Amino acid sequence: MRDDYSSKLGYGLKWAYLLSIVGALLAPVFHIVYISFNEHGFSARIYEFTTDWYRVVLGDIMLVASLKWTFYLALSAVLTAVPMGLLAAKLYKRTQHKVAFVTLMLAPLFVPADIMASSLLVFFRNANGVFELLGEALGWKWLTHWFELGFLTALIGQILYTLPYAFVIILITMSRYHPQQTEAARGCGATGWQAFCQVEFPQIRAGVFSACAFVVILSFNEATRTALLKGGFDTFANVLVSQMLNVGMSGESYAMAGIMSIVAITVIGGFLIYTLIQSGRLERVARAKADPLMSS
Amino acid sequence: MRRDIESTSPTAGGGWDVPASPSPWQRLIGEDGLQKWVFYVPIAFMVLFFAIPMTATVVWSVFERTQFWMEPGFTFSAYENFFTSARVENYLSSMIHSAWAVVICFVLGFPVAVFVRRRVPRVAQHRVILLFILPFMISELVRVFAMRPVLGRYGLVNSFLMDIGLINEPITVILFSPLGVIIGDVLSFLPFMVFAGFLAMEAVQLYVFEVCDDLGAGTVRTFSDVIVPLAAPGIILGGPGAVNAGLIVNQAIVALDFPLAMAISTIMIVTLMALLYVGHRLFDLTKILEPIN
Repeated sequence: MRDDYSSKLGYGLKWAYLLSIVGALLAPVFHIVYISFNEHGFSARIYEFTTDWYRVVLGDIMLVASLKWTFYLALSAVLTAVPMGLLAAKLYKRTQHKVAFVTLMLAPLFVPADIMASSLLVFFRNANGVFELLGEALGWKWLTHWFELGFLTALIGQILYTLPYAFVIILITMSRYHPQQTEAARGCGATGWQAFCQVEFPQIRAGVFSACAFVVILSFNEATRTALLKGGFDTFANVLVSQMLNVGMSGESYAMAGIMSIVAITVIGGFLIYTLIQSGRLERVARAKADPLMSS
Repeated sequence: MRRDIESTSPTAGGGWDVPASPSPWQRLIGEDGLQKWVFYVPIAFMVLFFAIPMTATVVWSVFERTQFWMEPGFTFSAYENFFTSARVENYLSSMIHSAWAVVICFVLGFPVAVFVRRRVPRVAQHRVILLFILPFMISELVRVFAMRPVLGRYGLVNSFLMDIGLINEPITVILFSPLGVIIGDVLSFLPFMVFAGFLAMEAVQLYVFEVCDDLGAGTVRTFSDVIVPLAAPGIILGGPGAVNAGLIVNQAIVALDFPLAMAISTIMIVTLMALLYVGHRLFDLTKILEPIN
C-alpha cells in the first residue's frame, strides 16, 4: 500500500493545508479580539493596547444584566437539555424505530433558526390563546400565562436548538459502552438506577460533561431564536446584534464580540485540552495493563 | 438473568442488599412505573415543540391576514404574495448561493475528512477532528461580524494585498455582495462538512483504500469512484444546512405579516425535506449512523 510517510513533503503539505483551513476559520475571530484591545479601534494606523473597551462593557448596567440573563438561560438549558439528551440516547439504544427516532431528534439541525423561531412564536401565541380560553372557562387563572413570551419560551427555543447536539455527543460516547456490563450488574441484583450510576455513567461521563460544555456555549452564542421568543429581557448576543444594527461597529461592539469569543475559546479550548490529557492518560494506563514490563 | 428484586446499596462482597417487597409508592416510581416513561420525555418534547409547530406552519400559511395577527381561513394569498414579489428572487438567489457554498465546502472540507481518515494514525484521528470544533463553537454572529474587518475596504485582506503590491486599490466585491454571502456561508458551514464527511468516512473500512492502491487505482479515480460514493451520505448531510433564506421570514414577521412568514417557512421546510429525501433515496442517509450503532 502506498503511504504518505514515503513522501514527507506530500504528508507535510497535507497537514499544512489542514492547519491553514483551521487558521482561516479562526483568523477573523482572533482579528476581532486583537482590534478589541486597540485604544483607537478598527482601521487605526496606531495600535495602543488597552482594556478600556472591556471596562466600558462590564461597567454598563444593561450589559451586565444581559450577561446575567444569558447565564441563567445557559444554566437552565444545561439542566434540561443534557438530561434529555441522555434519556434520548438511552432510548435510541433500545428502540427498534431507530431511523424515525433519530430523524425526529436531529431534524431541528436542518431547520434554519429564523424559521424555527417564527413557527414557535406563532405556536406560543396560539397556545396562549387556547390556554386563556380554557382558564376563563374553568376559572383557573394560573392557566392563562403559560406561554406568554418570556424566559420559559426562550428556554424552549434554546432546548430545541441544543438538544440534538447533546443527544449526538452522548450517543457517540455511549456507542463505546457495552450494554452487557449493565446486564451483569442487573444479574448481581442492582436496580436500573444503580447500574446506571455505578457502572454506566462513569464510562460515559466524558460525553455528558462535553455535552454540558457544548450546550453552555451554544446557548451563550444563540441570538436568532432568543430574539423572537425572549419577551422582556435581553441576552448578551441580542444586545450585540441590536448595537451593530443601530449604532454600527464601535469599540464596545468589538469588546462584546471579544467577550463572546474568549468565553467560547476558554470553555471549548479547556475542554479539548482536558480531553486530550485524559485520553493520553487512559492510553498510558491501558498500555501499562497490557504490557506491565514494557511500561515499567 | 435479572433478579426481580429491589435493592439499595452494594455490599462489601460486591452484591446488593435485598430489602423487603416494594411499597406502592416504590412501584409507582419504579422501573415498571414512571421510570419506564421518563425515557419518552425527549420524544414528547420534540413532538410538542418541534413536530407540531412545524406541521401547523403549513396550516397557518393559509390563514387570513388581519391587521396585527391572522384568523382561520383558507387562502393562498400569502403564497401568491411570495411568488409575485421580489422575495422569490431573493429566495432563489439564496438557494444558488447556498449551492455554491456547498460545492466550495465540499472541495475545501471533504479532502480534510479523507486525509484524516486515511493518513492520520487511528488514535489521533478524533483529536484532529476536534480542531474544527473550536471555530464551529464560536458564535456564528461573531464569525459573520468578523468578516467586516477582514473583507472590508480597509480590512485585513485588502490591506495585505495592497501592502504586497498585488492590487492598487481595495477590492469591494468581497463584502456586501453575493460573493461575500458565499464566503460567509462557507466559513459557517465548512466545519459541518468536515464533521459529516469524517463520520461518513468512518463507515468506510480502511482495507477499501488498500485494495484501491493494490489494484493500481490512481488518487483521482479512487476519490471519484470509491470514496465519494461511499461517503455520499455524509456529503449530503453536510449540505442542506447551508440553505438559508431565513432573513425573508424575519422581515415578514417584522412587517406583522404572519401568514406570509408561515408560507415562506413552509416553502423552505419543503425544500429542505425534498433535498434530504432525494439524498436519502440516492445514498441511504442512515449509513451515517453505522459508526454509532
